Amino acid sequence: MSGATAAAYLARRAAQKERVRILYRRALKDTLNWAVHRHLFYQDASDLREKFEAHKHAEDLDTIDKMIAAGEATYNKWRHPDPYIVPWAPGGSKFTRNPVPPSGIEIVYDYGREDNE
Amino acid sequence: MALRAAVLRHIRLPVQTLPAAGSRPQSQLSFLRLFSSHDDHLTKEEVIDRVLDVVKSFPKVDPSQVTPDVHFQNDLGLDSLDNVEIVMALEEEFKLEIPDKEADKIDSCNLAIEYIYNHPLAG
Repeated sequence: MSGATAAAYLARRAAQKERVRILYRRALKDTLNWAVHRHLFYQDASDLREKFEAHKHAEDLDTIDKMIAAGEATYNKWRHPDPYIVPWAPGGSKFTRNPVPPSGIEIVYDYGREDNE
Repeated sequence: MALRAAVLRHIRLPVQTLPAAGSRPQSQLSFLRLFSSHDDHLTKEEVIDRVLDVVKSFPKVDPSQVTPDVHFQNDLGLDSLDNVEIVMALEEEFKLEIPDKEADKIDSCNLAIEYIYNHPLAG
């Protein structure tokens, strides 16, 4: 059932809208991964945007669910094998490169010379 | 020594005062190089300036209406997908990686500025 009350309908629509936004975000990042040069990226990004805009006014909840599932399948198929990740983020090249040292550790500046003063 | 003093007396230049520092558009920290990666947090004005520049250079936005308080969808009349694009542009500008759930909640300039200012690794 598609939700008997208006509140359930709105809740489902809101969840779908969030899924669409996250899908658009990931697809846009993926497009940037594939099309590194900016002029190619702008072209592909506007194509992607038009694909999303074509189904903007769909109303039926089940159709929307199917379209989102199809979009996510296409996204999973086209994911870049070596995406650009910001260096300090998990998966990037600087991740945990300089971890914060555990607290309570101090440098002893006169090791071995404590007796000599 | 006396000859040297005599020569110097003749070629001494008049003392000039530096021009008054009327226009210092950059903040003073930009001339100070900090060598640790944990000290150079962005100042709030710099964050605000850069965020507003990014929003103003968005093609669907009217630059004269952009203020630090503006809401992307209510005030600027943008779409939710445009919101996503603006957040991605901000990520690229500040070299951040914002998780999907957090990026979904950034709806206005206020939230964006706050998030970026409080992020420890914002560049």
